[in-house]
Amino acid sequence: MGGGRIVTRIEPIPVTLITEPGHLVALDGETALLRLPANSGHGHADGEQCIACAMRTDVRALLFDMLEGAKQGLRPEFSKVVVDASAVADTAQVIAALQGKLPAQALRDHTVARLFYLAGAA
Amino acid sequence: MSLHDEPHIPDWTEVRTALAKAARERILILDGAMGTMIQRLKLTEENFRGERFKGWKLPLQGNNDLLVITEPQVIEDIHFDYFMAGADIVETNTFSATWVAQADYACEEAVYDINYQGVMVARRAARRAEAADGRRRFVAGALGPTNKTSSMSTDVTSPGFRSITFDQLVEAYGEAIRGLVDAGADLLLFETITDTLNTKAGIFAARRLFDERGIDVPIMISGTITDLSGRTLSGQTPTAFWYSVRHANPLTIGLNCALGANAMRAHLGELSDVADTFICAYPNAGLPNAFGQYDETPEFMAEQIEGFAAAGYVNIVGGCCGSTPEHIKAIADAVGKHKPRAVPEADKFLRLSGLEPFTLTPEIPFVNVGERTNVTGSARFRKLITAGDYTAALDVARDQVANGAQIIDINMDEGLIDSKQVMIDFLNLLAAEPDIAKVPLMIDSSKWEVIEAGLKCVQGKALVNSISMKEGEEAFLHHARLVRAYGAAVVVMAFDEQGQADTVERKVSICTRAYKLLTEEVGFPPEDIIFDPNVFAVATGIEEHNGYGIAFIEATRQIVDTLPHVHISGGISNLSFSFRGNEPVREAMHAVFLYYAIQQGMDMGIVNAGQLAVYESIDPELRDACEDVILNRREDATDRLLALAERYRGVAGKEAAAKDMSWREGTVEERISYALVNGITEYIDADTEEARQKLPRPLHVIEGPLMAGMSVVGDLFGSGKMFLPQVVKSARVMKQAVALLLPYMEAEKLANGGAEDERQSAGKVLMATVKGDVHDIGKNIVGVVLACNNYEIIDLGVMVPVAKILQTARDEKVDIIGLSGLITPSLDEMVHVAAEMEREGFDIPLLIGGATTSRVHTAVKIHPRYERGQAVHVNDASRAVGVVGNLLSPDAKISFIEDIRKEYAKAAAAHERAESEKQRVPLEKARANAFKPDWSSYVPPKPNFLGTRVIEDFDLETLARYIDWTPFFQTWELKGRYPAILEDERQGEAARQLFDDAQLMLKQIIGEKWFKPRAVVGFWPANAVGDDVRLFKDEGRADELATLFTLRQQLSKRDGKPHMALADFVAPEGTPDYVGGFVVTAGIEEVAIAERFERANDDYSSILVKALADRFAEALAEALHERVRKHYWGYGADESFAPDELASEPYRGIRPAPGYPAQPDHTEKTTLFRLLDAEQAVGVTLTESFAMWPGSSVSGLYFSHPDAYYFGVAKVERDQVADYAARKGMPVSEVERWLGPILNYIPGPAIVAAE
Repeated sequence: MGGGRIVTRIEPIPVTLITEPGHLVALDGETALLRLPANSGHGHADGEQCIACAMRTDVRALLFDMLEGAKQGLRPEFSKVVVDASAVADTAQVIAALQGKLPAQALRDHTVARLFYLAGAA
Repeated sequence: MSLHDEPHIPDWTEVRTALAKAARERILILDGAMGTMIQRLKLTEENFRGERFKGWKLPLQGNNDLLVITEPQVIEDIHFDYFMAGADIVETNTFSATWVAQADYACEEAVYDINYQGVMVARRAARRAEAADGRRRFVAGALGPTNKTSSMSTDVTSPGFRSITFDQLVEAYGEAIRGLVDAGADLLLFETITDTLNTKAGIFAARRLFDERGIDVPIMISGTITDLSGRTLSGQTPTAFWYSVRHANPLTIGLNCALGANAMRAHLGELSDVADTFICAYPNAGLPNAFGQYDETPEFMAEQIEGFAAAGYVNIVGGCCGSTPEHIKAIADAVGKHKPRAVPEADKFLRLSGLEPFTLTPEIPFVNVGERTNVTGSARFRKLITAGDYTAALDVARDQVANGAQIIDINMDEGLIDSKQVMIDFLNLLAAEPDIAKVPLMIDSSKWEVIEAGLKCVQGKALVNSISMKEGEEAFLHHARLVRAYGAAVVVMAFDEQGQADTVERKVSICTRAYKLLTEEVGFPPEDIIFDPNVFAVATGIEEHNGYGIAFIEATRQIVDTLPHVHISGGISNLSFSFRGNEPVREAMHAVFLYYAIQQGMDMGIVNAGQLAVYESIDPELRDACEDVILNRREDATDRLLALAERYRGVAGKEAAAKDMSWREGTVEERISYALVNGITEYIDADTEEARQKLPRPLHVIEGPLMAGMSVVGDLFGSGKMFLPQVVKSARVMKQAVALLLPYMEAEKLANGGAEDERQSAGKVLMATVKGDVHDIGKNIVGVVLACNNYEIIDLGVMVPVAKILQTARDEKVDIIGLSGLITPSLDEMVHVAAEMEREGFDIPLLIGGATTSRVHTAVKIHPRYERGQAVHVNDASRAVGVVGNLLSPDAKISFIEDIRKEYAKAAAAHERAESEKQRVPLEKARANAFKPDWSSYVPPKPNFLGTRVIEDFDLETLARYIDWTPFFQTWELKGRYPAILEDERQGEAARQLFDDAQLMLKQIIGEKWFKPRAVVGFWPANAVGDDVRLFKDEGRADELATLFTLRQQLSKRDGKPHMALADFVAPEGTPDYVGGFVVTAGIEEVAIAERFERANDDYSSILVKALADRFAEALAEALHERVRKHYWGYGADESFAPDELASEPYRGIRPAPGYPAQPDHTEKTTLFRLLDAEQAVGVTLTESFAMWPGSSVSGLYFSHPDAYYFGVAKVERDQVADYAARKGMPVSEVERWLGPILNYIPGPAIVAAE
């Protein structure tokens, strides 16, 4: 049985999380660095976010953009990611997002949940 | 303030005309952000509460929409400022005013009022502005996306989950829209769309209200794109999004929000190219920076938006988050210099979408609709779906798309599954797979409710397959209007009240009538109509079928010529139905058919793309033969193709055989058989005559050589070695022979005074295709085959109502009724016929046949409804003779029916097992249906001692008598019961040898005392508390000793049987009851002995000793249990079963072990071991996985209740696991780990709401 599956599956991409400021990790050509901006300073009332700002601080949306960027040739391909969340006040949110425990807001969150996994913290 | 102003109800047709006219003349201006302006005012909680919400239970600050009620002047002034800055249109402050979003503040009750007042305050501002400068202003009722999403799951681990349904959204949007429209909003604006399906629900709600009131409020639609991929949050490209909402006929389509104007530009350009309506854009003023200010100043933003205008992308512009009246003024000034975008004309092409758009342009000659995700088209997919294997089923869909399917057909019409629910589940799961969901879906069902449920799950523009005028014009129009309201295109079958169209004239006239109704009455876009003029089987051996191929092709030509913009589709595989099993011929027929049909305008088809021959590459001889058949070019076309087909099948020598006359040299019986199998009529008269003279009576010719020949035919057909047309030919030979014999039989009858021989008809069989179904090939074949076997056939044709079937059956005194049907709903109709036969007192056999029928369906659904008679599934025509023969034979009938009933009982049981695997009931319901013995009239027996006792006085020889040998043989992979297995034909010798060896070793074990069996047993006062059993230190029952936790069945029970838990066998508090426990072991010695054998390379003996040690442990448990019943607990003192009778558990009470079906939680062993101090008492320990060491040990609990029995908990749900974990004080994740195999769900975080 079987019959020629032609779908190529991308290997899941490990994500290493940095939570302490100033912590340095060695990066190689296969590793992409994602710096999360501090989740503050936007101009909506009561710290609320519109979906556009929310996207700018959501680690899943940013990882998806990195994938998309690589697909469009806007950035180098990568097989590992280091996420620098040291500027983020609530890193538990970032961890929950990477573990798929935060409610998905967009279809891309499903894609990210399948393609990335939290490999550890540095 | 005046809350009770009379609303101004606009003439919406005039509004549409005025706005359209203005938007063609200049770029219109929409307002800017409301939230940004409100935020500047630094309002407090009191402002939000006002009078109406003074004592509200929740904080309301931030619920901006409430301000239209509590601070109306503030909002009116902001609107006024925007109008005066240049806005032509302002949006009402009602972005979150649906009950879905207001639930956060518990303000669901205020939703209508917010929407109503939102329009009222905006209208007052408009009036003031109009008075100030005399320019007309418009009020757009804003409808936000709600904070929930219907097209995808919020839980990435559970992609099929939905936090809100389409129907709930229709209701939510409906309420909001009513408020907006009642207050006279000029427009409705669906904005910041994050989920297209949500918006489709909104459009549906709007359309419903408009239809109710006979109005048509202009609609504006605005999506949001926030990431680099250029997709909406629900994953669609801008064009796919446009195709999904185009059915709303919106005044504008566009984008808002996003990361500033520049980020929107490319997407806006895409929309501007494809949309044949006005474009509206209102981006954020850049992004808020670290100081809380937006980085796009009015000038900067205006410059960028002016870029949109200069590029000719826009008709209406404005601002979203961060924009202010200053921004709007700057924008208005900037775009004023530019001409508005000219709305392009869109070609009338069929445009569909998944996550990506699909347009059927003239460059695409033919669209392959993938058929592998159709349970009626793919046996493999059907198996996966009925087994609930959605992962593999999704892979099938994925492969199809990867293989190039441009649309995939989803069909779940299978009688044994809940088609509607499965359609919903599958589509919901599919939605999370971007590589599948990118293509449009064809939602395919013969049941409207399944189609409708499917339409409520897809955000893209789907294709419905199909609707028809089968049930008349009214139902057709109703369905068509709904298809349109859900935003789908539609396949229309050439089917009317009279049935399926089979001639060119009928096909064309039905399609023409449907076209007029759709385009003139419903307003259906003609390019969204696909006609299916019915592909029927050709070359069936039945003459009327010969013209079916050419009729389709000719009808296609006429339909395409006369009905502009429509498309033609069809299910190609029907065509070659009579050649099933011969793929080369089928592929060739399909290719030839498509070659001609496509030339005439067929542009879509459900076909397996991987199995389509290329017309040019078909062997010319085969191609010609196929063309002769399909185009009906010659009378013998079928015969010729049949003859040729044999060659492609690899059946050798057929052609040679035709010329080879050697078969004429056999006996007359052989010759008759040969003639029947090969369908040769040439010599049959002579041969029949010869046989008649040879045999004593003419009847014997029929019952002898003719029937024998037909049974060969039946076997060949049944095993796929003969095809329908050949069988029909065989039948023809048969008929000819019978005809020759009939006069002789008549004469014989007369000679006997007309008394004796009733053979003229072997029986009367009524045949009918049930109501709602028109497929009759199979039925006709059965009729022919039966007729030539001397049965009288009464064929009522197709679409026969039950009343007619039963009336005819009574009038004609038929012996058997045969029902046929091919489409899935026919299954229900057959059930109905069966039930009616039962009700009206029939007892004649009922035959069930047709492609979708099955043995299981007959067993589960039809058979139980007809108990007076017998329903029999006949899986193919060739078997019908045998079945009917058996059913009408006084000798064979009883045993035949008995066999069938046995078989059906088995099939039904297997089906029920499979079903119960799937359906669980909530814990609360299971508890309510617990097993409740009558405790009031029952006194639980009290054990003779409480606490624990160690027992070591077991005699190995005595124990050996308790050994149950059947599992011993199973250990050695010899399957069968002891002692019968020793005499088993196949395994007997091996079993005897093994048994001898075992007896030898057993003697040694006993003689040399290899094992030292030990046991510990205990009893404690106990009572059930809910699903658990509480043990007490003493009879005072005040001090708790321990709790034994038990699990309850959650499988759905059909016949009201209770949902069992072990706790049900123990009396609740108030009635003193007891529970026992035990651990026994054959002894640690086994381990060393086995190792000794191993070292001596005697694996056989090593395994043998282990197997025997296990048997001893089990025997010990059995012997101990007996002692418990007779002595320690004593309730079975009078028991007198022999040791070898005990294996069948004839006694009272049970001894279930943790980790086994009645309590699958192995961790419960720790409690038992602690209570018994088992490690100390008998030297048995628990491993980290709660296995007992040494292995030959047995533990368990004792329950004494007379009704106690062994049951299986089977799969449990999340609710019980959570409850169980809480009771046990164990983390849920740990419980899930131990109960892994019996979880009926995938563990993971429980689902939480989106916000």
